[in-house]
Amino acid sequence: MTYAIKVENISKKYLITHGGYSSGSLKEIADNFLRKVLPFSGSRKKLLDTTQISYEEFWALKDISFEIAKGSKLGVMGRNGAGKSTLLKILCHITEPTSGIIKINGHVSSLLEVGTGFHPELTGRENVFLNGAILGMKQLDIKRKFDEIVDFSEIEQFIDTPVKKYSSGMQVRLAFAVAANLEPEILILDEVLAVGDVNFQKKCIDKMNEISGSGATVIFVNHGVDAIKQYCDQAIVLKHGSLILNTTDIDSAIESYLQQ
Amino acid sequence: MDLKVSIKHGVAEKMQIIEAGIQAKDYWKHLWARRELLFFFTKRDIVIRYKQTIIGASWVLIRPFLTMVVFTVLFGSLANLSSNGLPYGFVVFAGMLPWYLFSTMLSDCSNSLVGNRGMLTKVYFPRLIFPLTNFLVTLVDFFVSFTLLIGMMIWYQIVPSWEIIFLPFFILLAAILGLGLGLLTATLNVKYRDFQQIIPFLLQLGIYISPVGYLNQLVPKRWEIIYFLNPMAGIINGFRWCLVPGALALNWWGILYATFFSLASLYVGIKIFKRSESQFADTI
Repeated sequence: MTYAIKVENISKKYLITHGGYSSGSLKEIADNFLRKVLPFSGSRKKLLDTTQISYEEFWALKDISFEIAKGSKLGVMGRNGAGKSTLLKILCHITEPTSGIIKINGHVSSLLEVGTGFHPELTGRENVFLNGAILGMKQLDIKRKFDEIVDFSEIEQFIDTPVKKYSSGMQVRLAFAVAANLEPEILILDEVLAVGDVNFQKKCIDKMNEISGSGATVIFVNHGVDAIKQYCDQAIVLKHGSLILNTTDIDSAIESYLQQ
Repeated sequence: MDLKVSIKHGVAEKMQIIEAGIQAKDYWKHLWARRELLFFFTKRDIVIRYKQTIIGASWVLIRPFLTMVVFTVLFGSLANLSSNGLPYGFVVFAGMLPWYLFSTMLSDCSNSLVGNRGMLTKVYFPRLIFPLTNFLVTLVDFFVSFTLLIGMMIWYQIVPSWEIIFLPFFILLAAILGLGLGLLTATLNVKYRDFQQIIPFLLQLGIYISPVGYLNQLVPKRWEIIYFLNPMAGIINGFRWCLVPGALALNWWGILYATFFSLASLYVGIKIFKRSESQFADTI
């Protein structure tokens, strides 16, 4: 079976600054410059020492390798700060890995945060088209899929109302409906189910099953183990940026995640 | 991102490779592939302005019109500066159009990344689409306020001659200069927010050191070389000349310099932007 995504030795380093003017201002440069050119003597040294900046390397991901087969449903588990979001951001091209290589077969569609790209002043209808375009869909395809999207989101009545008047639940439904109806080859979902109600969550799971049933690959991050148990056929567990488990035995993955 | 097309089992498959420091070989091709998104964003920004503000589009007309009235009273009536026999209001407006094109372009582009922080850290598409959206929106605004200039020329019965064909050149120069510097400052803004304060301040000064409220022909000959070091001086000079070539002289040094400066700033702007692009989501 061919793979949809092959991740090889991916690492991601961030630099964290301590002290000084690390908030990103020109003063930071000026201070660094002064520190270099001025002789460190007497009171000046004392003065500059209080604004001393130090950098610390932080590895958000350490040497991660795994493979996802086409059509499989991968659950990503790990506690806050384990590196889940960083991994997804790298898979979506938003940020670059520091080292390693990822090979992707197919078009990636992602839903990292609900309503990203929704403009509050525009109506639901306008936002469907805008969001579709952001996710890389052709206008014609959006038109073709429009009824299906609206139908799925269950907000027909409000489709011509500005999105700023939507409840957060309505926004999630519409956002999910757009991303899920794009006919993605690889769908990446981050914590999207956290907002909707139980019925809608079930509907989403059904839709995701339908998507993966048609041969697409789904990557799914969720804190709720139930959804992963219900849906996924492969799971990886991350801890402090390292991959500690990659298995098709979902129960053991959940156990290892809960034990952390 | 690198796109490779390989043939497997008789089916063409796209294989994308993500790796550190990889710069797309098909950078412009990728951008072109997402042109629909660029037009969507442009349309969105224009639609929103009409929706949100009561005066909507007329805002694009009211702002330059009121500024023109103030400048005309200040420089024309009170200071009594020479206008080479042209109506002073026309002189000011013909200077303000290219100036506002440039300054809006620069300030909007420089905020285009920071202002779209949410999207920048959540979705991927060619980052150049953000400033390019501002580029198109500002051009649309320009053409809306351009109708006021046409109205003014009809009112004052100023008949353009063949030199008007060069007008698009100067419009483009002002736009390119604003975009080039805007790309540069947008990139810097990601890391150093100081530019959010610096740019409006510089533009406020710029309107006075550029020949907006007066004719550049008033500047003494010996100061001309220094005066035209500001590329907008040459662009405004050329813009006005296209409209009334009989009344105003062209400053060749200023125009050559402005052309070179604008192209160079676009080149440098794109280069710096492209080089920093992969870091945007991490540093913003």
